[in-house]
Amino acid sequence: MANYKDIIVGCIDKKGGIIEAFHALQNEFNYIPHEALVEAARVFGVSEAQAYGVATFYSYLSVEKRGKYIIRMCESAPCHVAGADELLKALESQLGIKVGETTSDGKFTLELTECVGQCQATPVITVNSEPVFNVTTKILPQVLAAYK
Amino acid sequence: MIKLTINGKEIQVPRGTMVLDACQQAGADIPTLCYDPDLKLAGSCRMCVVEAKGRPNLMAACVSPAENNMVIETESHDVVESRKIILELLLARHKLECHTCERDGSCKLQDYCYRYGVTDSRYAGQGPHFGMEDPNPFIKRDYDKCIMCTRCVRACEEITGAQVINVKDRGHHAKISTVFDGKLADSNCVFCGQCLMVCPVGALTSKVSAGKGRSFQTKGVLTTCTYCGTGCTFELNVKDDNVVGVTSVRDSEFSPVNKGALCVKGRFGWDFIHSPERLTTPLIKENGEFRPASWDEALNLAAEKLKGMKDKYGTDSVAMFSSARVTNEENYLAQKFARVVLGTNNIDHCASLCHSSNVAGMGAAFGSGAMTNTINDMGEDARAIFVIGSNTTENHPIIGYKIKQNVRKNGAKLIVADPHCTDLATMADVNMQFQPGTDVALLNGMMNVIITEGLLDKEFIENRTENFAALKQILEKYTPEYVEPITGVPADDIRRAARIYAESEASAICYSMGQTPYSTGTDNVKSVCNLAMLTGNVGRPGTGVNALLGQNNVQGACDMGCLPIAYQAATDSEIRDKFEKAWGLTLSAQNGLTVTQTINAAHAGQIKGLFVLGENPIVSDPDIQHVDEYLEKLECLIVQDIFLTETAQKADIVLPGLSFAEKEGTFTSTERRVQLVRKAVSGPGEAQDDWWILCELSTRMGYPMFYANAEEIFEEMRLLTPSYAGMSYARLQGSGLHWPCPTEDHPGTPILHKDIFSRGLGLFHAIEFKEPVEL
Amino acid sequence: MAEEMRVLLEYADKINPESADEYVKVGGYVGLEKARQMEINDLIQEVKSSGLRGRGGAGFNAGMKWSFVPKNAEIKYVVCNLDEGEPGTYKDRIICEKNAQALLEGMAICGRAIGSNQGYIYCRGEYPFTVKLLKNAIQSAKELGALGDFNIEVRMGAGAYVCGEETALIESIEGHRGEPRFKPPFPGVAGLWGVPTVVNNVETFACLPSILTKGSAWFAGIGAAKYPGTKIVTLTGDAVNTTFFEVPTDYILRDVIYKLGGGVKGGKKLKAVQVGGTSGSFIPEQNLDTQIDFDSMGAIGAALGSGAVLVLDETRDIVDIVTRISKFFEHESCGKCNPCREGTFRCREIMEKINAGKASQKDIDNLLLLTRVMQKAALCGLGQAAPFPIQSTIKHFAHEYARKIV
Repeated sequence: MANYKDIIVGCIDKKGGIIEAFHALQNEFNYIPHEALVEAARVFGVSEAQAYGVATFYSYLSVEKRGKYIIRMCESAPCHVAGADELLKALESQLGIKVGETTSDGKFTLELTECVGQCQATPVITVNSEPVFNVTTKILPQVLAAYK
Repeated sequence: MIKLTINGKEIQVPRGTMVLDACQQAGADIPTLCYDPDLKLAGSCRMCVVEAKGRPNLMAACVSPAENNMVIETESHDVVESRKIILELLLARHKLECHTCERDGSCKLQDYCYRYGVTDSRYAGQGPHFGMEDPNPFIKRDYDKCIMCTRCVRACEEITGAQVINVKDRGHHAKISTVFDGKLADSNCVFCGQCLMVCPVGALTSKVSAGKGRSFQTKGVLTTCTYCGTGCTFELNVKDDNVVGVTSVRDSEFSPVNKGALCVKGRFGWDFIHSPERLTTPLIKENGEFRPASWDEALNLAAEKLKGMKDKYGTDSVAMFSSARVTNEENYLAQKFARVVLGTNNIDHCASLCHSSNVAGMGAAFGSGAMTNTINDMGEDARAIFVIGSNTTENHPIIGYKIKQNVRKNGAKLIVADPHCTDLATMADVNMQFQPGTDVALLNGMMNVIITEGLLDKEFIENRTENFAALKQILEKYTPEYVEPITGVPADDIRRAARIYAESEASAICYSMGQTPYSTGTDNVKSVCNLAMLTGNVGRPGTGVNALLGQNNVQGACDMGCLPIAYQAATDSEIRDKFEKAWGLTLSAQNGLTVTQTINAAHAGQIKGLFVLGENPIVSDPDIQHVDEYLEKLECLIVQDIFLTETAQKADIVLPGLSFAEKEGTFTSTERRVQLVRKAVSGPGEAQDDWWILCELSTRMGYPMFYANAEEIFEEMRLLTPSYAGMSYARLQGSGLHWPCPTEDHPGTPILHKDIFSRGLGLFHAIEFKEPVEL
Repeated sequence: MAEEMRVLLEYADKINPESADEYVKVGGYVGLEKARQMEINDLIQEVKSSGLRGRGGAGFNAGMKWSFVPKNAEIKYVVCNLDEGEPGTYKDRIICEKNAQALLEGMAICGRAIGSNQGYIYCRGEYPFTVKLLKNAIQSAKELGALGDFNIEVRMGAGAYVCGEETALIESIEGHRGEPRFKPPFPGVAGLWGVPTVVNNVETFACLPSILTKGSAWFAGIGAAKYPGTKIVTLTGDAVNTTFFEVPTDYILRDVIYKLGGGVKGGKKLKAVQVGGTSGSFIPEQNLDTQIDFDSMGAIGAALGSGAVLVLDETRDIVDIVTRISKFFEHESCGKCNPCREGTFRCREIMEKINAGKASQKDIDNLLLLTRVMQKAALCGLGQAAPFPIQSTIKHFAHEYARKIV
């Protein structure tokens, strides 16, 4: 695993680029570890409280540990009318967790999201930012099985 | 000018005026929650919305610049409807417990609900609960009362510069939080309580004042803080003759230095006033135990003892320590008592440890041993600030905050030189962590760079100084490379620091106890004076040599003459004449003993008696063991204090005085600003005004002294003290005056040495680096 | 698809969007070259006279916006808003995927016009693949030297709808919480890092190359006179063809749905259309013959917004959908200003109550009062627009609410 300090330093030439650093950290760790947040604050010359305020503002960022695969279920209007509620129930029951939780094996974290801009193929989920299209409750087991 | 109409009234305002100010000018009272005149605009509470004709939406008055021909209604149907709904929305999540809230009566939410008749919220439903216990002794955070105005966040960032809180999460889940939503005590919070000063509701309140009285039950007494030399002012909140809290005074007319900002000590450290440990009656030691005594008994005994020693061993067998904590009036009287009644010039106080290097060093270089510029200069006008030997944010917090503000807000450069890595050092452009005691080498190194690189102010040196050649000569060898191994500071850092200091339009040097209380203290001071003169950084706003004095009245105690070698020297016959005439007695023409000399003389058996007013030398002197022994050797020790201090415990007679909250008088801050101290409450038990005690003793020793009040003492003092001659209590009512203020129409002197140094020409001293003997 | 008019998407799937060379082969970067040879004032005038209006939703004349930028400022920025967070919208992603070089060229033309050599593309965090594509496209353009001294950096959002608001977007690029600033000052005067900044939408920038190449008169002649050009619409919900179309702006909504979109799925009747994304008003069937241009939409109390078109068939429960939408705004409110932070929360609360059949007429009155205040007093467009779906459905579909209240 890459060192969080190196990851942060990699973004240093981007003025005000603390959010870029957070993305880079999440690419590696799936969340922003506390010590990395403190380091990012130092490197980008903002207070720790401010860095924390930024990290908690954006729904894409997390300061809590998350699973290997982060499933985000879109619930915006186009997906809503395409049956997102049903799909969410199916996701929760098949994963055995509620929204915001991580499976006990650390494999999946389930989150809700607003529109991910793939409304040509609703309902949509994303797994680690990769969109999966037209996810019906029927094909869900198949979809999940693809993630080892 | 811009012309606009507000509520049918046409007014003119300068371009750039915000609608909010224009409305106020037009007599319209606009409600605000997030707006604070001292903080960056947020424009977020939307309470100040007004209606501008022709615009589809309402505009927030606080962030909208006035424009020509605007027609504004401040209480239209839409405006009032919006304000009411906003209040209802806030009420819907507000823990409504006004009946027990500390801010009942001083809460903006309450005021505006009253004003708009908002009794209840139609939107009361569920909501997030942020209620939390924050285990710290000072600040109560109740976020179920928070209205998310973010004034606390802005105050923490902009006034104090601590930046420990921010908004966490977003939307309705947003709350004010430290990093990782932790406790304040685990963050870098310095508990200055600026957040609580700006909080418009009951979300942030003082734990120290909790339950002791709300604003409408208390009376505010403006006074001057008793902790450090900054000279902050605030209001003591008084209820039933008790101090129950401290409130910021944010009007710069009455709070010229701190503008309401305070540190943890000033804001929360007032509970000592009513401590059960306070001395309430005179004490006399018998068989090693104290017993209470009446004033008559104690004063008679003290007078008898002092007189006895004076008669038996001669006038110089007795010494007096006054205090940098008590008022100018008391210090004046203390030294008068020593010189007139005891007949000795053995009068000193702790400043001889910390401030005498300034008096000597700056006195030699400039002709006056006091801070040259003002605190606000460092916070506003200085373009570069060189902090050496001062942990400013710890010891003079408000000055530290101002330096931070100047750096953050105005982009002032900051150079820090200190053996420790101080809080300021972490934000410095150059941080020079040097070996203790190598100050002169470091400063010489900087000056070497300035001369080598031609960054010196030739005109200033030529016109306003002397002895430059000698300095230049000795500086030759102090190249940064030569200085690096001595100080441990990389040569390049020395170069960068020198350039920043020399090249900025106005550079201020700021130092404190890291420079002065050493064998080389005077050399250190002379060296910073050299640096300032070399670059012409004296006598202008934002420049100068700024010694930050530790206690609240070091400068005043020195000005009043509580020094064995006073500003107005006893050895000078003309000065002596003046005082002899005023006091009607012949005075000793010999310099007296300093605190440390007194201790040594006591060891040698030459000092038999000591009268200590408000000092605690057992704790404050460099060699505690030594002091302890000498106090034992004394024939009689008299201590006048408000607590039974370590020193008082050694005394034969203890006389209970009053705290700053219980008396009238003046303090002179480190920037030479003389400010009033006002009585807020009565003293405990039989404790008496310190000046009254001195008068009584004096009278009993055959020199009758009578004053009706502190002001009378001040009036006598100013006749004898040229730099205070133009001051009076009436003139000091508002923001005080900077000495010198020689006449009653003189505005005071914020900046010294403007066109001419006190001694005429500034004197360079060629100072070689010497290893300090302490190390 | 015969009735589409493809200008921005003319070469869609015919060229590699990352490749500057392929773009040049089909006439790319000619507009920028032309812009470079024009006097600045002429260039701005050309864009002004084309009548191009911002495609992000506000509909402000692009050339006019540029003309407000102070000429004497030393540093200025060009910022591209690729945050399209409006549910049902993905046209900017499509432009990037089909014609990324046109976006880059458009930004460089703007840079030339305002005297800036630094551009930023703020791409929403949901599109990491688009970020990659754009970085490659920039690299390709650099290698070809097509952008000259104009630099473009891609910054990524992180899941905040409000960052589509230009000042919140600027805050986000600066590394802050994406909270909108109050205006004035407008970004054109004090934007990114306090200097003059032009923020335009992807679609706006992408229009510029053809305006320069084919002339402002040509562009002004397309579609609606006051809102000329083409518009990419994304059709979602119960339409047969849920995809994107590029049409002239005088195209009517009914044709988008029935001609291009193939009508309502399953042969059902149409109940309502929401245009412009989730912040748009709901439009009843009788208004379908409205042109999709900015002003025509405004005239029926709706907004073109991003150009998203959500089709709802006769079986859909309007109250349920608006309840979902109210949750969207609650989730996306930044929390800075009181009317929006508290208002979106209470709107959702009341909508849920109505949807659950537990509300009374009084609740609807309270809701209308609240939305009126949000609209008038909120700090930014989010809080001001969040009421539209609620207000428009209470107006046009009152019976659906009436059915649910007690």
